[in-house]
This record gives sequence, structure tokens and C-alpha cells, in this order.
Amino acid sequence: MKSSLLNMVLVLFGITAVAAFLVGLVNNVTKETIAQTEQRNKDLAKLEVLPEFEGDAEFEDKCCEIGDFKVNVTTVKAGDAVVGYAVEAPSITRGGYADRITLMVGFVEKDGATLINGIKVLKQSETPGLGANMTKEGNSLERSAVGKEPKSLKFAVSKEGGSFDALTGSTISSRAYANAVETAYAGYLWAKGELPSADVAKSGATKQEDTTSGATKCNNEESEAQKGEVKNE
Amino acid sequence: MSKLQLITKGIIKENPTFVLILGMCPTLGVTSSAINGMGMGVATMVVLIMSNMVISLIKGIVPDKVRIPAFIVVIASFVTIIEMLMKAYVPSLYASLGVFIPLIVVNCIILGRAEAFASKNGIFDSALDGIGIGLGFTLSLTAIGAVREMLGAGSIFGYTFAPDVMPLLFILAPGGFLVLGYLMVLFNKVAKR
Amino acid sequence: MGEINISKEVILGFVDGSVSVEAITLFAIVIGAIFVNNVVLSQFLGICPFLGVSSKVETSAGMGMAVTFVMALASIVTWSLQRFILVPFGIEYMQTIVFILVIAALVQMVEIVLKKVSPALYQALGIFLPLITTNCAVLGVAIIAVQKNFDLLTSVVYSASIAAGFALALILFAGIRERLEVEDVPQGMRGVPIALITAGLLAMAFMGFANVVPLP
Repeated sequence: MKSSLLNMVLVLFGITAVAAFLVGLVNNVTKETIAQTEQRNKDLAKLEVLPEFEGDAEFEDKCCEIGDFKVNVTTVKAGDAVVGYAVEAPSITRGGYADRITLMVGFVEKDGATLINGIKVLKQSETPGLGANMTKEGNSLERSAVGKEPKSLKFAVSKEGGSFDALTGSTISSRAYANAVETAYAGYLWAKGELPSADVAKSGATKQEDTTSGATKCNNEESEAQKGEVKNE
Repeated sequence: MSKLQLITKGIIKENPTFVLILGMCPTLGVTSSAINGMGMGVATMVVLIMSNMVISLIKGIVPDKVRIPAFIVVIASFVTIIEMLMKAYVPSLYASLGVFIPLIVVNCIILGRAEAFASKNGIFDSALDGIGIGLGFTLSLTAIGAVREMLGAGSIFGYTFAPDVMPLLFILAPGGFLVLGYLMVLFNKVAKR
Repeated sequence: MGEINISKEVILGFVDGSVSVEAITLFAIVIGAIFVNNVVLSQFLGICPFLGVSSKVETSAGMGMAVTFVMALASIVTWSLQRFILVPFGIEYMQTIVFILVIAALVQMVEIVLKKVSPALYQALGIFLPLITTNCAVLGVAIIAVQKNFDLLTSVVYSASIAAGFALALILFAGIRERLEVEDVPQGMRGVPIALITAGLLAMAFMGFANVVPLP
């Protein structure tokens, strides 16, 4: 077809308008479903990183925002008994190779000690075949943390003196993973009111102080303990 | 060209990877394992078939000078829509193919076929062309991924046969170039006979 | 609780709500983008022009310049669009479409300007300019820069460095290919296969830069 200014502008405008309309339409239709799916996946991940139990699960969320990132601590209860804590946390200080990664980390309390019960990768966009191996079950990173006491872990890769055995060829992704586990542990301590204050961190002292400040920027709707129920089958 | 030839030509005669040399970036970027190569191939095929059909439908009303921007908009909206639909209705499929979807927008295969075939042919032939080229792309990517996975990780489709002894280099960037180069030599040798 | 094994940055994040990302200097970004994480040789973006244009050093230099210009310009425009239009109106899902249109328009502009200013360069680059539109490096970098939450200056420096890395790889590669022309390459390897194998060796050499600076 011959080009003239008028038909060029008209056709391009028309196509863009139709495209934008369709994309917007599909977005409106799918937005709800996508959000629901994501929520359901998160809820399933919460159960997956904690030990199995009888009866229905009850979730109690406590969240805090760090910069643009959200750390969400869910206390999972079966009846009156606390099963464990599922913490959704991003890597804070070290981004992954491509983007920040997000983990769901399960903590259980047993005989006065805290143990990491399970870890699930919620979001990652690392290189397929290398960093993306962190999603595989039983990978070296998962093995380095699961079943251990977080208190005894050093949150760095082993060649930098930490306790995490890096994935082959993916030091950067592994660092991000270790950092996300660290953030999750900090979130757990924060939820329990045991997080040391900034002064302690700055001075490097080992004495624990009382912290009341906690996270400052919680969403109003979400700082209220949220309750949700999920059938445990 | 018969309808059957339209489908089979993509595998040897007009193989997009080894003969047309199109879509090199995703070819090298995702083929660190066989299953990834296959996933990317299938995702590309779906987009290619649909964009080919739409472009062959609208080819009559698009002025020559704005052809490329118009086609790009069509492809980009397609990819975005497919991504959203997959996320909403087949999340398990999205979990395995999702990372490749945004990469498809800039895959020159799609625009290349839109230009070279769909803008000159009818809707049915264009769909067949999409199937053929998509098939060739999927096969090539799976082959490259399989070789890289075997040489670099000592496994094939995730089944490990030689753990921790193979040179990791083949999964890293240089290995991608090398494997593609040598496979191309092999392909030329076999196909030309 | 005994020894505190949580790093200061993470604790501070919880206490005052700020993220203290490790300071990465502009210098580290430049070196990282050009050498450590070279866009062509380690990120596999922009391979098509890399293989297509790189038979002569001169054309490579021209292509490198064109891409640098488009990328730097595109990063400014896409950054502003993301910040002032897409996010405020909540239409981030239109990102791909908007970005690729902006890039296509920019390329068209560069083409018009080049035609007027340097017809010789236009002659040499003419057919490849439209290819910049589908040069995945340009869109890829625009999206990565937005993902990484850079400010405007960092974003421009980052994009320009990535483009410089692209130009460097292209020119180095063209230098090698000019020599390959006169070598006696085995029949079946002539053309693209030997170019790919050469690129593999070049990528191996670039791996030597790994861990020189922290990556952005």
C-alpha cells in the first residue's frame, strides 16, 4: 500500500489504539485471577516450608516495609498450637544477577531452639541452568540452610567465609540467596520482638537490647494482624 | 510450494537457527539445558503462528513506510496478552515458560517472518509457515541445549549421568558460541549432502 | 542470643525502614557494563548485528556509535516515561509496547539525521539502522535499567556503558574477522560458524574480567 502522511498516521494510530485497548482489556480481566493465583501460591508455599500437621491452617500476617520491599511474617497456627513461622523476604543488600530474589523461609521452634524447616524460591529471574538452579529441590544452597539453626549460620557464600555452599558458577545469585535468608531471619526476630536495635548493630556489641521501634512503614491495612484460613488437605 | 512443504521446510531447508541465522540472542541465552531450549522454542512457536496470522490479515491496510513499527506493536501486544493469559489461567505452564516470554518480543524471527512471509501470503499459509519455522526453531534449540547440558553439566533433560566432572564452560557464555558454531558446521555438512 | 550474625544493613533496614544497598560507584558501573558483564559476550544481547555488521572495522565503529547514541537517548526517554507516566497511571503492563515504540521512533530519527549529516555513513549503515529497532540489546537494557531502579544519571551512564561494551566487542571482533578473511579456513566452517567460534574464544577472554568490580 502507498504511504501518505495521512494514512500512515491513521493506521499507526489505529493499530496502537486497538492494541492498547486489547492489552488493557485483558489486563482488567486477568488482574484478579493473577492476584488470586499469586496469593494461593504464597499460601501453599507457607505450608510447604513448614512441617506437616493435622487440621486447618490459620494464618496471622505481620508485615513491614523496608524501602520498597516487603517482609511478611506469617504465624501459622493449627487450632491453638503454633506450627511455625513462614517469612517472605527479598534479598536486600545484594541483588541477584538479574533482579532481586524473593524467598519463603519456614522457621520452627523446637526445644527452645529455632530451626529453618524449609525454603522455597518465590521469585527469581536468574540465568537458566546456572543461578536458576536455586529453585531445584535439594540444591547446595538449600542444603546449607535447611535443618540448621539460623543462629549458627553465617550469611555469606562459603568462599567468602560464610555457611552457604554456592551453586556452581553462580556466586552472585548465591549471595543474593544467602542475603534473602538473612533478611527472613531478621524478619522472624523482628516479629518476635527480638531484633537488636540499630545502635547494637552499629557498635557491633553482642548484648541484646530491647527493641520497640520495629519497622516503621507498615501498610495500615496490613499492620493489623490479618487472618486468613486455608484448608490443609 | 505445497502445504506440507511449508511445514517441513523450517526443519532443514530454511532452518531458522542454522540456515537463516535468525533469533540468535534467545538461542544462545536460554539453551543452557535441553528443557529450557524446548520451552523457549514452543513459546516462540505459539507467538509466531498467531502474529503471522494477524499480520497477514492486516497487511492490506498498512502503508509501507510504517510497516515495521506497526508489526512491532502487534507482536509486542500479542506477547503481553499471552503472558497475562498464561499467568492467570495456566500458572503452572507460566512457571516453566514465563521467563522466556518477554524475550520473544525482541526475537528477530518473529519480525523476520512477518516481513518475509506473512506480509506477502494469505492467512492459512502464514499459519503453516509459523508452524514450520517454529518447529525448526524448537528442534534446533533443543539440540543445542542438549549438547550444552551434556558437555557442561553431564546430564540430559535433567537426568544426570556424569555429575561434577564436566567442564562448566559449556553452560557459560563462551560454550554457547562454541557449541552453536560447531553444530552449524555439522548441520551444513549433513544438510548439503 | 549471644553473637549477632545478622548484618548491620539488614538490621538497619528493619529499624529505620531504609534499604542500604552497597554503594556501587559510577566507575564500577562503567567497568562492570563494558568488561565484566559485556552485553554481547556474556549477556547474549544484540548478537544479530554483532554477527551481521562486524566484517569491517569501519562499519562496526559506525554501528557502535549509532547504537550508543540510540541507547543513551532511549534510556533518558524510557526512564522518564516509566517514572512520570507508566507508574503514576498504574499501567506498567504496557511497558514493552511503549518502550519498543519509543525505540522505533528514535531509530527513525537517527536515520533521518544521519542521512542529512553523513551520507557516507548512512550508505554503510543504512540497512542495519532498522535492525537497531529489533536489536534486543536496546530494549533489554532499557528494561534492565528500569528494573534496577536507577536514578536518571546512573541509568544514562549504565546504558551508555553497555553500548560502549557493545561497540568494543563489535570492533574487536571485526578486527579479528578482517584477518580471518585472508586465512585458509576449512570449507564447512567459512562464514558464520568460524565467526561464532571466534566469538566463543573472545567471550572466554572476557571471562577473565569476572569479579573485577561488584556488579550493579
